This record gives sequence, C-alpha cells and structure tokens, in this order.
Amino acid sequence: MSLKVLGISDLQVSKTPGDVLITYSLGSCIGLTVYDPVAKVGGMVHYMLPLSKIAPEKAKAKPGMFADTGVPLLLTKVLELGGAKDRLIVKAAGGSQLMDQNKVFNIGERNYLVLRKLLWKNNILIKAEDVGGNYSRTLRLEIDTGYTTIKTREGESEL
Amino acid sequence: MSIEDKIIEKISSFPTLPTMASKLMGLLNDAEISASEIGRVIQYDPALTANLLKAANSVYLGQSRTVDSLSEAFFRLGTKWVYQMSVSSLIYSNLNRPVSGYELSGEALWRHSVAVAQMSDILCEQLKIRDAGIIFTAGLLHDIGKMILGEFVSESFDDIQAIVINEKIPFEEAEKRVIGVDHAEVGGMTAERWNFPPAIVETIRWHHQPEKAAVQSETIDIVHVADATCLIQGFGIGSDGIQYKLNNDSVDRLNITSKILEQAASELVTVLEDIDMMTSDIPAAEAVGRL
Repeated sequence: MSLKVLGISDLQVSKTPGDVLITYSLGSCIGLTVYDPVAKVGGMVHYMLPLSKIAPEKAKAKPGMFADTGVPLLLTKVLELGGAKDRLIVKAAGGSQLMDQNKVFNIGERNYLVLRKLLWKNNILIKAEDVGGNYSRTLRLEIDTGYTTIKTREGESEL
Repeated sequence: MSIEDKIIEKISSFPTLPTMASKLMGLLNDAEISASEIGRVIQYDPALTANLLKAANSVYLGQSRTVDSLSEAFFRLGTKWVYQMSVSSLIYSNLNRPVSGYELSGEALWRHSVAVAQMSDILCEQLKIRDAGIIFTAGLLHDIGKMILGEFVSESFDDIQAIVINEKIPFEEAEKRVIGVDHAEVGGMTAERWNFPPAIVETIRWHHQPEKAAVQSETIDIVHVADATCLIQGFGIGSDGIQYKLNNDSVDRLNITSKILEQAASELVTVLEDIDMMTSDIPAAEAVGRL
C-alpha cells in the first residue's frame, strides 16, 4: 500500500493499484473523491475556497485551492486516466463550521453550494456525502477498490 | 494538592523563554527594527545563524552567488522574514514536543502556531494595522497554555468533550468547567511569568473570548480571527478540533469581509509553502519541527 497524502489545496489522481489517497483535517474545506470502478482510476482534491475570482493568480499556480478550478480539473484528470463520465462515483466530505459563526465565515457552506452547482451543471450526482457540523474529518480513497472512508472523532466508517 | 495548585506549580517549573528570544522580542518595542539590531542579538546563536544562511542560499531563491554573512542573508531574505523566522525558531527550539490531551504532535502545534502568526501578519497588512510585530508574536504564542494544560486535559478529556457535545459550548469553556482553568488562562499566566508586554499577555489570555478582555484591542481581535481561520481551514488541528466560537464583534470591529478573509486564507497557503520550501533543505530545522 502506498499512502499519498494530500495537503490543503492539493489535487491528485491515480490508477496504480495499492495507492491510497488520504487527506487530513478537513474543516470548512471540502475533500472530493472521484472514482471509476471499471477503469479503477480515481482522484481527490482538498479545496479550500469556493471561487477563484478572489485570487486568479493563486488559482493558476494551485487550481486545487478553489472549487471552481479544482473540481473541473479533477474530473478532467480522472477522464484522461481512462475514467468514463457515466461511471464516475463522486463523494464529498467537509464543509464544517465554527460555533456561532457569521456570514463572513460561512466558507464551509459556500464551498458546498458551489460544488453542488458545478456537479449539477456537469450532470453528475453526489453518491455519498458527509458535510457540515463543527468537527474535522479525514477522507481516504483506495484506488484498487474505490473503498472510501471518513474518519471523525467518533471513529471511522465507510462513506 | 488541588488541581489549581498543580497547574500553578507546572507553570512555575515550565522552561523560561530562551534569553535570546526575550532579547529579540524586546526589540519589538522599537518602532522600526533594524537588521543590524537583530544581527547583534542572533549572531551568538550558531544554529540559528546557520539556518538563516541556508535559507538565504536555498534553491527557492534561485540565485547563484553564495551568501556567507548574516548581513547579506538579511538583505536577501528581508528583515521582517529574518525576524519572524528567528523568533519562531528560538521560541520553539525548546518547546517543540508532543502535547498530550489535545493529541497534538510537536509538529502540529508548531504548524498551527506558525500559521496563526502568519495569518495575523497577513491580516495586519491587508487591514493596514501597525504593531504587526507584537501581533505576530502573540499569534505565535497564543496556544502556549496547551503545553502545560495538556496532561490535565488528557485525564479529563471525556468529561470535557461530553459537556461540549451536550451543552453545545466551546471547548475552552468546558475545559474551565472541568479543570478550573482553560488553556488561554494558563497561557496568559505563563506569558506573564515570562515578563511579556501586557498586550501579548492579554491577547493570549483572551484569544478565544475577546469580549471578556478589560480593554478591547486590535491585537486580540486579529489573533482571535486568525486563530479561528486557521482552525476552520485545518492548519494543525488537535482533539479539541474546531469546537470554538467566533466572536462576531471582532470581525465587525476589524471590518473583515468575505473577500478579505478568503484572500488572506489563499495568501496563507502560499506563505506556508514558501516557508516549507525555504527550510526544507535545512537539517537543523528538523530539530525545531519543520517550519
């Protein structure tokens, strides 16, 4: 097994059996996994912010930082590796918030709304999700099987 | 011995700040810190000097000529960066160790502290706030109390967590309820013992509850918002997670908009990456945890 750790704003795809993509400490950020069970290719992005227009030059250097640049790029890269759009299984986790927060800080909610919009435009449904709340999550995807888990302070379970 | 007595005893036996770091922070009282003043202080620390030279020569800067003097390193790295890196590594060189209770590795607390300090600095720049040096240091030290309170939190973690869940109150309030003090209070007491300026003591003390400070200050507001941002974005999270409150008055007082906050957060990722890149080829930096 080869563990590939994604940091904040990272994006990775793989078709190597034995690869496991993992990202820790998803707070308001969203971790998105995309997997094709037939081609056995998959990928993950850990994006931090909804829209790249607030810092276009950052989006160029690090497209995985934003939903509107990271999500399309992840889909494209998985398709390039041999995935087929109608087989893609998409799962999402994160988008949490602090207690008592205000509009300025509702990044988690906006991260999620932009994701829904992007996927809807692309005719892709979210198969499973674990979003919101005020705790952090670890998201993990096995490339062999597509087995996806979510880990919180409550323990680990399949997503 | 009561828990309070045990904690007070622990604070008094906690290592004092390295002399060098105190001297360096003393310079903060000057409006403009000059490179030569910093140089006078740190030239006696061979490890730090070596680190700075290596950073100045790192591939990141992409320059061919070798830097072999401190003054040249200052020129290449910039006085502010040298100051920040010096204070950061001096403070943490003997404080970088795992924190039980919060289940933070030495590196996680370090990363969170550096992230909050840098986020504070970015917000100061965007909001055109002076005193950035003090705010940076307060950001760096805001969670110092966790290092002392950790073992007590470890003993009562389940009780604390149960109160957080059942009563929907922030972690530090539950901490105080169960242990008698919270990590911010303990941090404030430690900073006081270290003879830090009152602005830093108060900021550490009230970084989760700016509304309770005797005098409101931009320093407390900035560190509070920077901490909240770094928690929610996942920079160095412990078992206390993101179970903290955001004070909306702090956000309003600073006039922080979504755009300012998001730009600052995206800038933070870049800054932390730069720090990683500049220090990644430095073996000595391993001793202080990766910057």
